Amino acid sequence: MTGQISYPDATQLAVPFFIAAILAEFLWIAVKKRGGRYETRDAVTSLIMGAGSVAEGLLLGFIAWALLMALWELTPLDMGTSIWAILACFVLDDLRYYWVHRLGHRVRWVWASHVNHHSSQHYNLTTALRQTWTGTFTFMMTVKAPMVLLGFHPALVLFCGGLNLIYQFWIHTEAVGRLPRWFEAVMNTPSHHRAHHGRNPRYLDCNYAGVFIVWDRMFGTFVPEQDHDRPDYGLVHNIATFNPLRVAFHEWIGIFKDMAQPGLTLKQRLLYAFAPPGYSHDGSRDTSAGIKAAHLARHPEDAGTPGFGG
Amino acid sequence: MPLELLLALVAGGISAIALLLHLTGRSRQAVLGTGSARTAWLRHFPGDSVIKVLPAASGQAALILTGNGPGLLWAFGADTAGRRLTAGQVRETADGLHFAFNDFAAPSLALPLPEGERRHWLAQIAATAEAA
Repeated sequence: MTGQISYPDATQLAVPFFIAAILAEFLWIAVKKRGGRYETRDAVTSLIMGAGSVAEGLLLGFIAWALLMALWELTPLDMGTSIWAILACFVLDDLRYYWVHRLGHRVRWVWASHVNHHSSQHYNLTTALRQTWTGTFTFMMTVKAPMVLLGFHPALVLFCGGLNLIYQFWIHTEAVGRLPRWFEAVMNTPSHHRAHHGRNPRYLDCNYAGVFIVWDRMFGTFVPEQDHDRPDYGLVHNIATFNPLRVAFHEWIGIFKDMAQPGLTLKQRLLYAFAPPGYSHDGSRDTSAGIKAAHLARHPEDAGTPGFGG
Repeated sequence: MPLELLLALVAGGISAIALLLHLTGRSRQAVLGTGSARTAWLRHFPGDSVIKVLPAASGQAALILTGNGPGLLWAFGADTAGRRLTAGQVRETADGLHFAFNDFAAPSLALPLPEGERRHWLAQIAATAEAA
């Protein structure tokens, strides 16, 4: 198909709103003395990561664009630009986001890009902006290919992806408790996403949704936030640096150091790149499954509860 | 949005937020005592059995002796970071100890410690590492 269609870069246009919302959340926390924590260097690191992610998009976005436009030239389908096409694209893109996000936690190559988003021990609106600088290198833009082949213009697909990210901004907060039941049932909310950011064994590998939590309910990865097990934010092995370069690249360095160890088979080297995070050839590390099993060995009373098969 | 405006918004926004947080006391470091260091270590390493906790007099860090060997917990902003230790990762300096973790996500750490305290830490690290 051919055709010139353009949409605004929603993420860039939202920058003033992001700044205003962060200030509002901080003031709310300061006045109410509850609803989250802010720390200067942590917040600045998150904001620099966000700025770097926008810069990466400006510098390398042409790669994804070229790929998607090449597919657009091939497809005979054209869904158009009606409101129904935009809505359908938004929902399909959210399904695409669910699976990319799930791969981002289950495949170390993709985790290396996504890990920095989870690397803060805080959870506030600045955490939402702690975004990757290396997304292009995961090649996850290929997961958008089916949408283009179905007839959604690349500009529309990228526009919907931007709206998806903007939606996710406001759910990175402890200032909002739980929302009405119907909303919590359908939509991703601060409560659901707090659980996603928890490093507690219960919350590992859950709630991958972007906008609609129904994907987690459908695919068996939904874990509700528990009042008796509040999410503890950060990584299983927390990083000890505020340096944005180290934040952005530490897991990539880890992959290459692991793959370069002497005496490994080719299969072991590949598993260090593509197996779930925590894989080790000698069993010296734990994947999320191992961490959950170790937790249940210490706390058998948790078996069958949410996040532990319940 | 013009690039110049985007850059100004981003730079101005980050600077304003950083200044606001700093001036309202959000740059304070965590201070570690025996109880808080034990709790923080078990948060990082929930499977460990903690034998002994030696907080530095400065409160900046604590040496944690566990059944799995020694470890260092230190203030990381308002939070903490922890790493297991081997004797080879610790070096005595003129005014304290230098820890090299061989970890891109945890750069080396120079911890000021009075002479008596650092000698005691070095002895405890060596003994616990050998026993583990």
